[in-house]
Amino acid sequence: MPPPPSPPAPRRCPRGVGGAVLGGAFVQAALVAGGPRALALLLRPLGGALGAGGAAAAGAGAAPLAALQLGGPLGSALSSRFGARPVAMAGGLLAGLGLLLGAFASHMGHLYLSVGLVAGLGWALVFTPSLATVGRYFPARRALATGLVVSGASVSGLATGTLVPLLLDTYGWRGALLLLAAISFNLVAAGALLRPLPSPIENLGLPRDQPGLLWLLHHGPFLRYALAFVLVDTGYYVPFVHGEAHAHEVGCDDHHAGLVMAAMAVVDGGGRVASGWLAARSAAPLLHHLFTWVMLTGLVSLLLPLGTSCWALLPLAMAYGFCAGAVVPLQFTGVAEVAGTGRLVHAIGLMQMFESVGSLLGPPLAGWLHDTTGDFTISFVTAGAFLLAGSLLLLTLPGCSCPGSKGGGPTTPTQAPDGPELPLSPLEPL
Amino acid sequence: MPASCLGESRRLLLLPLLLLRCGLSAGSPADPAVTAKDASHSQASSLTKMQAGLLESSPEPMTTAQTVNWQTQGSSSDHLTLGRSVSAPGSDLATQEFKEATKDNITFVKYEALLPGVSGTSVEKNIILDSATRIELSCRLDKKYSHLQSQVTWKKGNETIRYINKTENSWSIKLQILDSSNMGSYSCAVKSEEEISAEFHLQVPKIEGREKPIVSYGGDTAVMMCKSSGYTPIAWTWYVTNGSEQMAINASLAEKYVISSISANVTHLKILKLTEEDDGEYWCEAAFELGESRARLRLRVLSFMVPLKPFLAIVTEAVILVTLIFLYEIYSKKKENHAEDEKEFDQVEQLKSEDSNGLENSSARHRRI
Repeated sequence: MPPPPSPPAPRRCPRGVGGAVLGGAFVQAALVAGGPRALALLLRPLGGALGAGGAAAAGAGAAPLAALQLGGPLGSALSSRFGARPVAMAGGLLAGLGLLLGAFASHMGHLYLSVGLVAGLGWALVFTPSLATVGRYFPARRALATGLVVSGASVSGLATGTLVPLLLDTYGWRGALLLLAAISFNLVAAGALLRPLPSPIENLGLPRDQPGLLWLLHHGPFLRYALAFVLVDTGYYVPFVHGEAHAHEVGCDDHHAGLVMAAMAVVDGGGRVASGWLAARSAAPLLHHLFTWVMLTGLVSLLLPLGTSCWALLPLAMAYGFCAGAVVPLQFTGVAEVAGTGRLVHAIGLMQMFESVGSLLGPPLAGWLHDTTGDFTISFVTAGAFLLAGSLLLLTLPGCSCPGSKGGGPTTPTQAPDGPELPLSPLEPL
Repeated sequence: MPASCLGESRRLLLLPLLLLRCGLSAGSPADPAVTAKDASHSQASSLTKMQAGLLESSPEPMTTAQTVNWQTQGSSSDHLTLGRSVSAPGSDLATQEFKEATKDNITFVKYEALLPGVSGTSVEKNIILDSATRIELSCRLDKKYSHLQSQVTWKKGNETIRYINKTENSWSIKLQILDSSNMGSYSCAVKSEEEISAEFHLQVPKIEGREKPIVSYGGDTAVMMCKSSGYTPIAWTWYVTNGSEQMAINASLAEKYVISSISANVTHLKILKLTEEDDGEYWCEAAFELGESRARLRLRVLSFMVPLKPFLAIVTEAVILVTLIFLYEIYSKKKENHAEDEKEFDQVEQLKSEDSNGLENSSARHRRI
């Protein structure tokens, strides 16, 4: 819902714009999360077709993910300079172009550059402004709105699993990339829905950005938050990436292993919406919710090795999926609590960049542990330990002490003051 | 090693390895250690004794043992000799297999079928052999049918096999499988009112190609792969279907076709500079000592026009959406501006009327005074 009215507001924000923003952001989350996943599925059958082996193809699949997370601050900086909408639309265009170029790659290096760099960058430019806009549009129910939006990622996760093999069988990998590029161009349309909030001071120039980013880097709570999520991300992705292999190891056949992973993805989506809804309804501070879910995720990860048969693994995997999904919207709304709404865009971008360290190190570390010890027990236990460490670090943050407000309330007076976007505060409820 | 291979190959997001790097090979063909599964010791010992008996009757086990010779019209003779070989694990309803060692350190693999099969149907067993070996095929009758003892016959196709080893309840034949002519179906049948029979199919290992066609585009390079799980072929050959004939791919076509193998169990055919003519069926053939085995692959060569149409359709849809969104926004802004203007107009009117009221009041006051 659009921000509550002070007299000029209803005329500037007609009804339905908030819903449109949600819808657009949902599509964006879906496409941005689905893209790298689709690429990973698509690059397997490349074989020797482009003159390189499996490892190179794997790299081309990992590159966009890395670009997506590392490009976060860039998305923040650009969108605070030019506004969220143009940047998101440009990002969509870029992502589509990258995939399009990849379809015509004649060399593995071309693929790296096009799909990895260009498309990954495009996705990064979409992701940060999208989430920041949602955060700004729904200050009262930020957690719920974010939860709804990021559940799009789960939907696309399931969809790519069916869509990409279909595309591959019908059109081969080049045709599949071509069509994925076309689908990615819809990001431009989704970006168009991110109507800028009418705010008297919208277009401040460059000088505004640097203080934002630099200030964040000196802000203790934010740094701790980002560090906490580095730890969390190191453990978070391990069950997702290695889950299928583990399912095979405990005795699931191909069909059941796929079932376990799909169940995990579905519950993940449910968890995202549920935690957003829960945080919006409850009076407890958002950061408490976040801490609880991260801790639960860590605990379930510790329990994962107990699933010694296929049927024992299924409920544990689903529990993990639910808790892991629950963390996601709270992570992005929590950062607004810690860093202030004014710097939301920068904070998300910077946090993503830090996170990438964890998410790029975690699964390979788990894989190495598995290869050394023979099974995934130590890997999952380590992942759980990282998650718990992250949750403990979250405890050190000054929790939101807003009396009686809904979870996604504005920043507390004890936090550092809002950045230059102060004029937004009259539009937010107190 | 396989475990780590599996683990790595599942890292979809970060490090997917292609399946062809981790050839998931099931058994190990070169490993001669076959686990012995003894169903009952007594059976084993009885057979051993029988073997010993045979050995004594044929003092030179490696030479042709006259007792087991069966000559059929024109076909090569199969001799009784004893040897050691590896058998593939079979899968059937009622069979057992076990290995025996005799005193000359010569072993053979025995396949046994229990008769009758399920609900009176014929028992069938597929035995996969890739290299020359000696086997024994045996049919064992259930105790209920002991009265039918003298009526069991063994056949290969239509030819009857004469020498049959008989024990208390089982009839067996020993075979030396040397080349593809020895392969095929061997059956034992019990003469009775019902059909009680068992059939053993000796086959070469099957190789895997690809069910779905491989899709590629003009000018690209296509890579086709065939894999043999568990058995190592002696040689691989690729065939391309030219019209209705199959042409073997040999070295003369090196600019177009490149055949390579990363391991003995896997072969790759790389086709360079694809054109529409390369569309069609390809066969890969694995040569084993005991015969050849083929698999089919299909290649489809598309032009870029094929995916272009859906691509343009989706892009057009995106452009239309963007246009609609912006048009709607401009339209709704105009409405707002209209509404604003009207409101301002109303306010101005109100002020004016207030003004005039005030003037009137003041004039009224004036008048009063």
